[in-house]
Amino acid sequence: MNYAYSVTDRSAGLVAIVSEHRQALEKQFARILSEYGAAISRLAFSYEAVAGVREELVQEIALAIWQALAHFRGECSERTFVYRIAHNRGLSHVWRRRPPHQPLEELEESDQPVDPRPHPDEQAARTDQRVRLMSAIQSLPVTHRQMIVLMLEGLSHAEIAEVMGITENNVAVRLNRARKALKDALGVRP
Amino acid sequence: MIEDRELDIWREQWSRVAEPPAEFQRKVQERIKRQERRFVLGNLLTVIAFLGILIFAVFIRHQSSWMGTGWATGICVLVFVSTAYRVWILRGMWRPQTQSTRAFVELWHKRVTARIRLLRISIYVSLGWIIFCAALTAADWTTIGQNVRAHPKDWVELLVACVLMQPVIWYWAAWLRRRKLAELNEVKKILDEMDGKSVP
Repeated sequence: MNYAYSVTDRSAGLVAIVSEHRQALEKQFARILSEYGAAISRLAFSYEAVAGVREELVQEIALAIWQALAHFRGECSERTFVYRIAHNRGLSHVWRRRPPHQPLEELEESDQPVDPRPHPDEQAARTDQRVRLMSAIQSLPVTHRQMIVLMLEGLSHAEIAEVMGITENNVAVRLNRARKALKDALGVRP
Repeated sequence: MIEDRELDIWREQWSRVAEPPAEFQRKVQERIKRQERRFVLGNLLTVIAFLGILIFAVFIRHQSSWMGTGWATGICVLVFVSTAYRVWILRGMWRPQTQSTRAFVELWHKRVTARIRLLRISIYVSLGWIIFCAALTAADWTTIGQNVRAHPKDWVELLVACVLMQPVIWYWAAWLRRRKLAELNEVKKILDEMDGKSVP
């Protein structure tokens, strides 16, 4: 009788602990999403131009964060943790992505990568610098793109080094190269 | 403090690039629930399937022929190997994503190389298995030959099924190999970019 009571009691205690842990995780996850949601969306933008697919990618990144969150022990900052997962997921997405079969309406709606350099004839039409910047970023090689995005998100050299797995010196060198490539893509004359 | 006007302008423009999709959090929560339900259901179905196979194995074990014993042992080994493989795969699925980009890509490269190697080994093993079966049949032709003469229709059916299965398996293996090689090229390209070899 006592034994049975003790087993029931113990399992009830265990369930309570698990449920508390789950609630804490859910709270932390919700906070991360509200804090980094916009950043994740911007980052997904650098990997995917098609609006519908991008939304999927954003959700996949969030899902990957949720899966890894239970095992996060603070080995790096939360910010680094989120950006690492987002970039790695983005890289996998680049490989998995099929050639886009977009319906025409979506092509008109979505922010397609366009040639970022202004041609004299079209210059007047493409006045939106934001679109040009975004298109220029999407046209860069993946590693340049990652460096530029992390820089634009305001990460320090040390944080970028942690996300990318390279030294801080290397970050400085690569950032210079990536920035030059971005300027070239934007058609900025030195 | 050095002013970086260009960077400030870019940051300002970048901050307006995208907002989280509408009802982002709710959609993510729904997806998590869906995934968890699928996970539980998948595992439940796997356990039921495994139990069914094990019961079937025990049943044919009691048929007391040497073939029955062989099948039962084979099935049991297969069940335990697949269970161990599934647990092994599920164990650290979340881990690679949390590594730095460099570590993630290096790990990706290792995994793709290992898959290609496994595929090559599987092709050799399947070839070896066919040769082994043919040799065994030839060596024991006196016994098997009698059986073939007694039930020719069954043996012809078995032979046709085996011959038809081969192109399917080969086509699938070739398709998978092509896909993995393309993936390997992509990963190598990313690694080269990271080492600054192919970046303009």
